[in-house]
Amino acid sequence: MSNQSEMMIDAGVSGAQSTLPVSRMTGLALLALLAVAAIGGPGLIGGDPAKQSLLHTLEGPSAAHPLGTDNLGRDMAARLLSGAQLSLSLAFLSVITAGLPGTLLGIAAAWFGGWADRLLGAFADAVLALPGLLLVLMLAAISPGSWWALYAGISLTLWVEYFRYTRQRARIVLAEPSVEASKLLGLGPWLLIRRHLIPEIGPGLLTIAAFGAATAVTSVAALGFVSVGIRPPTAEWGVMMTELLPYWREAPFLILQPVACLVLTVLALHLSVGGPRRP
Amino acid sequence: MTHSIEVDMLSVFAGPTRLMGPVSFSVAPGGTLVIMGETGAGKSLIAQAILGTLPGALRAEGHITINGSRVDTLPVAERAAMWGHELATLPQEPWRALDPLMRAFRQVTESYRFVAGHPPVQAREDTAEAFQALGLSGAEDRLPGALSGGMAQRVAFAAATAGKAPILIADEPTKGLDAARHAKVVDLLAKVPATGGTLLAITHEVAVTRRLGGHVVVLRDGQLVEQGPAKTVLSAPADSYTRALLDADPQCWPHSNPHSAGDVILTAQDLAIARDGKHLIDGFNLSLKQGERVALTGPSGIGKTTLLDALAGLLPPASGHVTRAQGLSRHAVQKLYQDPPAAFPTRIPLEKSLRDVARLHKTDWGFVLRTLEHLGVRPSLLSRRPDEVSGGELQRISIARALTVRPSVLLADEPTSRLDPITQRDTLRLLEKVAAEENIAVVLVTHDRHIADKWADRILKLAK
Repeated sequence: MSNQSEMMIDAGVSGAQSTLPVSRMTGLALLALLAVAAIGGPGLIGGDPAKQSLLHTLEGPSAAHPLGTDNLGRDMAARLLSGAQLSLSLAFLSVITAGLPGTLLGIAAAWFGGWADRLLGAFADAVLALPGLLLVLMLAAISPGSWWALYAGISLTLWVEYFRYTRQRARIVLAEPSVEASKLLGLGPWLLIRRHLIPEIGPGLLTIAAFGAATAVTSVAALGFVSVGIRPPTAEWGVMMTELLPYWREAPFLILQPVACLVLTVLALHLSVGGPRRP
Repeated sequence: MTHSIEVDMLSVFAGPTRLMGPVSFSVAPGGTLVIMGETGAGKSLIAQAILGTLPGALRAEGHITINGSRVDTLPVAERAAMWGHELATLPQEPWRALDPLMRAFRQVTESYRFVAGHPPVQAREDTAEAFQALGLSGAEDRLPGALSGGMAQRVAFAAATAGKAPILIADEPTKGLDAARHAKVVDLLAKVPATGGTLLAITHEVAVTRRLGGHVVVLRDGQLVEQGPAKTVLSAPADSYTRALLDADPQCWPHSNPHSAGDVILTAQDLAIARDGKHLIDGFNLSLKQGERVALTGPSGIGKTTLLDALAGLLPPASGHVTRAQGLSRHAVQKLYQDPPAAFPTRIPLEKSLRDVARLHKTDWGFVLRTLEHLGVRPSLLSRRPDEVSGGELQRISIARALTVRPSVLLADEPTSRLDPITQRDTLRLLEKVAAEENIAVVLVTHDRHIADKWADRILKLAK
């Protein structure tokens, strides 16, 4: 058909393709910044997130406390960094522990088909039928305030997405003639997965991972905010919001800080994988 | 006199680049115009310029006159108002143009109702009449997915011509059809000028041009190569490119040299195959000898591809046996596919795919490069991804890939049906040469009986 016009449109796009779109650049830069903050933690500014000073409560920014102090006189910057450490490490770990088994099970289901596929599918549907929050709340009830309960609950709800996505895509990819050709040519399962599957489903998985990480960060904060997740005095963004909420009239800039951190993290994660993609 | 379509110095531009043209031609009512050329020659651009459906980035220059009134200066809305009434089009691969969720009868009724403007009762009567006339009885309540390629083509034809437009534009009407349906569609189109309509057909097949006749325009890379009455162009082409195009018609191929066959390497005994519980082929026997070229023909849907899968050992037969000669390696049977881009991992460079195979089979990379050179593939192509290489080149690369494992049998599933005629001939010639040199037996599935006649040592016909 209009081969030339397609070629032309292709040529027009390829110039822009070599450089990332601005939104993705922004997202990745923000993400890098957050990663530095999370890895460095409160040590970056040398503050102690737990040290109270009741003489200096609800103070504005100063040289000693660049972001001010909270209702107990604790350094806000140190507490935010400590919260970043907690939220992001939990998000990172839950993405890995949900993504890896989810993806592998998805590939297994598509590969073997038959009863293995049906069994895994039914199991995933069963997990999906249970509201994710309920699972986390149950685990939190068993072990209140524990980081591990949150982590396990979030991972257990997130893996289903990877599983369903991978199974669906892998089933289509594995049925393609190219896979049959590669099998005839003697390529083993590992090479088939590496050459056919991963390039095909990788970008999609990355998107799910980023969105999943954002979900994990917000879940932790939400549970902290309703006093089910992490308990005070641990510095956690959701917990901080709860603690600072009564003082919103006297020191509005304080409550805004954990909220801004949360928004920035979710924004960074979403932007980093967004933008136009080649089909 | 008033011409149905008159095109004067038409060119199509993308920005400053001329993609096609300039061409000038005219067709009278009751006449036929055939535009010939290979993929990418700009044939469809002419049809789009006449219809006014060029993609936004493209621009047409020149005069286009339809039924005596100039249309290229009209606004889009006024040109759209002509669709179905003055100009009708039969799209490429019509099964993709039909609404997949609407039954065949209703799709056509809608055309009669809304394009032709008939009242509902009459629209239904007209549709029933059209179904009768086109031999579609029994297909009324089927969804497009359940129609065969030929039926879908006729349903699309009925829908397109409901508005009684005097001009019909058919873009590659025979694409993807097997021999029997191919002939039926061409017959259907040939009736258009016979009943006073004007036909503009776009095709790369010489056989279609020969059947339709009329005035022929030959394009190459957007340039007009030659034009004239079909008789003159087909019998005494003035340009060497036209001659090459005509020579590439399988009907004109010389017979391939018969190859002395060696020992039997693959036998099928009393083979019955089924796919998804559907019984396809019974009692199939074959003994394939080294270096032999066998053509396998039969109507679409009879199970040719499934049969190849059974021969390749990809599908267990329902009954009977496929036996390989002793000492044949596990990878001795290889396949070539109809759609070359679908036969390679999509997102990785070709070189990686080839190196994987070479490494697994301990084939020297130099051997692979020599094979590619022998097949006329530039090594620089290997850094590209499959969708960035032309179909003909990719099919040659897939032949080279198969040769890397030193096969004894190549099962080729319509390997050239999506290629242009000249590329098709060259690819099959290469396949013949390579098979003779390496003593490889080839089973070629084709729906073109001329190819089967000219290319193969023997022909196996599958019939219902």
